[in-house]
Amino acid sequence: MPQLEQVEFFISQLFWLGVFFVILFTVLTYITLPKIRAFLNQRDDFVKSHISKQDELIKKAESIIENYEAKLTEAKNQASQIINDAKDKALKESEDLIKATEEKIQHEIKQTEERVAKEKDTAISELNDQLKDSATNFLSKVTNIEKGNINL
Amino acid sequence: MAKGESPLKQFEIQPIVDINFLGFDISFTNSALWMTITTAFILIFFTVPFLKAKKTNSVSDLYPTRMQVAAELGFNFINSLLADTVGKEGKKYFPLVFTLFMFILFGNLFGMIPYSFTFTSHIIVTLALAMGVFIFVTVLGFVKHGVKFFSFFVIPGLPVYMLPLLIPIEIISYLSRPISLSVRLFANMLAGHTLLKVFAGFVSALGFFGILPLVFIIALTGLEILIAFLQAYVFAILTCLYINDALHLH
Repeated sequence: MPQLEQVEFFISQLFWLGVFFVILFTVLTYITLPKIRAFLNQRDDFVKSHISKQDELIKKAESIIENYEAKLTEAKNQASQIINDAKDKALKESEDLIKATEEKIQHEIKQTEERVAKEKDTAISELNDQLKDSATNFLSKVTNIEKGNINL
Repeated sequence: MAKGESPLKQFEIQPIVDINFLGFDISFTNSALWMTITTAFILIFFTVPFLKAKKTNSVSDLYPTRMQVAAELGFNFINSLLADTVGKEGKKYFPLVFTLFMFILFGNLFGMIPYSFTFTSHIIVTLALAMGVFIFVTVLGFVKHGVKFFSFFVIPGLPVYMLPLLIPIEIISYLSRPISLSVRLFANMLAGHTLLKVFAGFVSALGFFGILPLVFIIALTGLEILIAFLQAYVFAILTCLYINDALHLH
């Protein structure tokens, strides 16, 4: 087996193994691996920063949505308030109008009634006067008593 | 392979450039060549895609290229492996585990290329790696816990009269870690490559019926690629577990 027979090459093998292992180890440690690590870290940082940026944007979007929804409900509330107010107002106005009209009508009815009553009274009193007159005339003519002396 | 060649011949080390340094033979061999190729490949594979990466915040610059995705895959694989076994404290040891895993993985995988050489099939290489890990975690344990590190060998909740029996067992099992770690990798590579070579020999020996071992070799190559990955993974995960033991004792 050459591995155990070629003893004369042991030192040579050990020497070159040492040389190449040390070269490999040194170059890898101080040049290659830091380069690879830096490259990987750079990419990780990039991805991480983008993830955090994305989170920020998501939060922002969520707050905007919240804001929008709050405003929307507020607007809806306002709108329904306005509608209710308008309804109330319209109802009240119509009621007022009806009331006023009713009052006016009532008033007019009253006035008319009063006027009618008044006219009736006047008519009656006029009629009375006329009757008195004619009765007085009639009596004076019948009794020849002067009109002024007749008191009915 | 020529007829009659030993299936173990593929593991033979052949010097390419003879180098002698202070009396030590440190020749550049085929083993060292494939270590060079592995190291160069890992460095290119993981560094080049990120060289152009500039610091910008535009989205188009953050799209990874195909090569970057491939490199990230390896990076994240070891990252999660370490996070799962050791936890947050494991980050410090990431470069070590990453280097170990990639070095063994691509060493194994390049070993699957025909006419190449698998340096992880040599016990001296795997033992050196395992001893490195073993010494590292032991030192780490002593640095983190000082003398308290010895309490690692005392299993909590055991009756005192069992301790004389169990403490030596624990110590032996601790000391055998580098051996099991290195032999596992070495033996897997050795057995897989030897088996492939033996069956490759059957292909030429059986003539027309050589098609049968050929089909077997194709399937076995797939299995060997799986094992190449699996052994690197086992080595890395055991390293993670040893680091975890050193950090948290029990």
